[in-house]
Amino acid sequence: MTDTPDYKAESPAREAWRMFRRNVPALVGVVILSFIVLATLYGTFFYAGDPYNVVWAPHERPGVTPEFPLGTDYLGRDILAGMLTGGGPTLAVGAAAAAITMVIGITLGSLAGFYGGWVDNLLMRITEFFQVLPALLFAMVLVTLFSPSLWTIAIAIGVVSWPQTARLTRAEFLRIKELEYVTAARAIGARNKRIIWKVILPNAMPPLIVSATLTIGIAILFEAGLSFLGLGDPNVMSWGLMIGANRDYILDAWWPVTFPGLAIFFTVFAVSLIGDGLNDAFNPKLRER
Amino acid sequence: MTALLDITDLKVTFNTRYGQVTALDGVSLHVNAGETLGVVGESGCGKSITALATMGLIPMPPGRIAGGSIRLAGEELVGASPARMRAMRGADIAMIFQEPMTSLNPVFTVGDQIAEAIMLHQKVSADRAFKDAVALLDRVGIPSPADRARDYPHQLSGGMRQRVMIAMAVSCRPKVLIADEPTTALDVTVQAQIFDLLNEIQRDFGAAIVLITHDMGAISEMADRVAVMYAGRIIEEATADDVLDFPQHPYARGLIDCIPALGREEHALKEIPGVVPPLHLLGAGCAFAERCEHANDRCRQEKPLLVNHDHHPAACHAVEEGRI
Amino acid sequence: MNSSYILRRVGYGLVLMLGVVVLNFLLIRLAPGDPAMVIAGEMGGATEEMLESIREEYGLNKPLVVQLGIYVGNVLQGNLGESFFFNQPVASLIAQRIGPTILLVITAQILSILIGVFLGVIAARKPNGVMSGFVSVFATIGYAVPVFWTGIMLIILFASVFPIFPVEGMQSVRLRGADVFTKTLDIAHHLILPAFTLAIIYLAQYARLSRASMLEVLGSDYIRTARAKGAAEKTVLFKHALRNAALPILTVAGLQFGNLISGALLVETVFNWPGMGRLAFDSILRRDYPTIMGVLFFASAMVVVANILTDISYRWADPRLRGKS
Repeated sequence: MTDTPDYKAESPAREAWRMFRRNVPALVGVVILSFIVLATLYGTFFYAGDPYNVVWAPHERPGVTPEFPLGTDYLGRDILAGMLTGGGPTLAVGAAAAAITMVIGITLGSLAGFYGGWVDNLLMRITEFFQVLPALLFAMVLVTLFSPSLWTIAIAIGVVSWPQTARLTRAEFLRIKELEYVTAARAIGARNKRIIWKVILPNAMPPLIVSATLTIGIAILFEAGLSFLGLGDPNVMSWGLMIGANRDYILDAWWPVTFPGLAIFFTVFAVSLIGDGLNDAFNPKLRER
Repeated sequence: MTALLDITDLKVTFNTRYGQVTALDGVSLHVNAGETLGVVGESGCGKSITALATMGLIPMPPGRIAGGSIRLAGEELVGASPARMRAMRGADIAMIFQEPMTSLNPVFTVGDQIAEAIMLHQKVSADRAFKDAVALLDRVGIPSPADRARDYPHQLSGGMRQRVMIAMAVSCRPKVLIADEPTTALDVTVQAQIFDLLNEIQRDFGAAIVLITHDMGAISEMADRVAVMYAGRIIEEATADDVLDFPQHPYARGLIDCIPALGREEHALKEIPGVVPPLHLLGAGCAFAERCEHANDRCRQEKPLLVNHDHHPAACHAVEEGRI
Repeated sequence: MNSSYILRRVGYGLVLMLGVVVLNFLLIRLAPGDPAMVIAGEMGGATEEMLESIREEYGLNKPLVVQLGIYVGNVLQGNLGESFFFNQPVASLIAQRIGPTILLVITAQILSILIGVFLGVIAARKPNGVMSGFVSVFATIGYAVPVFWTGIMLIILFASVFPIFPVEGMQSVRLRGADVFTKTLDIAHHLILPAFTLAIIYLAQYARLSRASMLEVLGSDYIRTARAKGAAEKTVLFKHALRNAALPILTVAGLQFGNLISGALLVETVFNWPGMGRLAFDSILRRDYPTIMGVLFFASAMVVVANILTDISYRWADPRLRGKS
């Protein structure tokens, strides 16, 4: 390969993408996650089955009956059907909760970091207050009080997880607002709103994108935990619910709890590989360690 | 008479992302007891690597001692066991670093840090070691040493911290004391005090000092002999007076010209053009050729050797040929 | 250590706890439906008489501010309400269960820090070595495993394959009359699986964090000074480097405490550990709100206490912070 000098500076986003493409673990994460997303979106086209119906004898071992490759649960319901339908809600709640977390966290964090003074003081006290509440317990309380549905679960997870995002955003804003180009923007008379949205926020994005990715993983684990405890939407099949429903029979049959658990694990694992890959891509210097 | 510290033809290489580079290319130095050797050169010329190699502190990998020998009082240090090196470090040969602000551990008191150095090499109680540490602090000119010994590094000024470093370095009466740019990070007034202290310490303890610096002023105050380094090689070596008064190598001349002197007009204060070339870009010829006004084709193709010319040894074709 | 700092820190902690009390109050009032109903528990099938007495006690017919005053006053007197399911004051319900939770959480915290930091330090000695690779893979896996599922897998493993650890509860029924020593051993035996389950996630994170922190510290000048003194590598790593690398680990340990309690909730449920998490879970299924709110209050109090202890120990560990406010 000839190394022709490139005089055009590469944009940070392009450079990050180039680094990301060469990161094998991150690409493995992309492949695993794509597979899981495709399976939950389109799996039922290839493998039609109702996860709620009792279709066979209870506790059929996996690999014995060809119609039910992953076996059946304690009631005789098809586990593979449950896996394929149960992934959608888990992923949707994870994504929605992460979005809510990011919106709350970025809004409060950027206001605190940008305005400083009493605004910062007030918002940081609120953040500290929310960090005192054990997140899962608080989410459990919220979900129970406001009756569980996919939306209340996503909102509850968002309401308990935003403090970290807020702190990160605030720290980035505090750092960036001192930089020359922000001063320059002020000097040409840009309004605060414009400086926050068009000048500082885009430059704060790299760590926030990484944090958003990791937040998706944490939100998925949260949703799984709530569903496992029986606090998920009772009308919706999900991986956590499958584990929770079968947990009294784990000593009779390992498979009804093992497969959904593996699905949750691989999803979060893939998401965190991608998150680590993005982190490396945005901070190339760290990789030379 | 054999020298106290005798470095012969030392070669140190590093694996970098540009491949293997030679950081030291056949460095030979010696210091006698009670003597101060100045090692001068710009940053990146290999002064600190020489010091770290002598201490056995080159990070390996990526570094490697590829050849040569380092003898301390006749004992070979290259290839000595790690345990033997540890026993000598701090006891027979000690080092003072450039950055007093960061060279002390922030979570221990300075007294404890000096006492630790004592206890590592002498069988004394912790109490005794701490008392000795206080005495050392007193010796290096720190006021109310008993109180300061209980201070943490952040509570002391830069000059005080360097005094602490010196106290720590001389705590076991080393034969050789290496001082790597000991005053670079300090105020000018403090610099003079530290040099005075080093001179006193040398008188009292009889240690040989290797003073690494880029400051010719420090050399004129401290050094008996001088070795000038450039790009991993010694390019000139003589007594301090000879080098200061009759520099041979164009690089050494350049360094001398950089000294601001009384009575000289300001515009005469020269500066050597260019920078030290990166090690991975060194070619076959003289490493200084690119920056040298006397360079010819021979200079660019053939490395000059450190040999005696009219006055004293210098590694330069132009000097050898009598062109300058 | 200056005591005015500690006092100020404790004062702020109390303010945060007052906030939790207000939050509890608001949550009950904001929940859809009749608050008296909510307090009595939707599953309780409360009689009209009972609801009336609740309204009376909590002043539910009075303005919201008065209600808040009554509620806060009650909590200040140690009255967290009455569990209508257990027919017991919430405070005494929690008093019975807070011990096992603290035991589980502290054990898991100690296990994860000790093992995690040890792995991280070993890994940091060779940044590109096998151990470093293991630590980063293990950290990613540990982060991604749902803690309740780890517990279930361990139960399957140790109940059927290697039956060497008890998989349920905190004490063996058959040892009811035994001496204290036997009982303590029995509890420790029961503690192993739940504590280890809970520790795994954080262990992995501490390993990764301490590796990174050690790598940074090992590059600093004072480490070179320590080596130049002739200190042995073990001394350099565990005395000079670890004391400094421990500072960020300590910070994270404090921040993790809330998550640890959340995790304990799931682990207690899986292993039938008789702690607050188990109580919270049971109460939520029964809609026993006074108990749930009591658990939320005490769990938050544990986090506040942990944060205060972290701040104080951080100041103790970093001399640069001592004497500052």
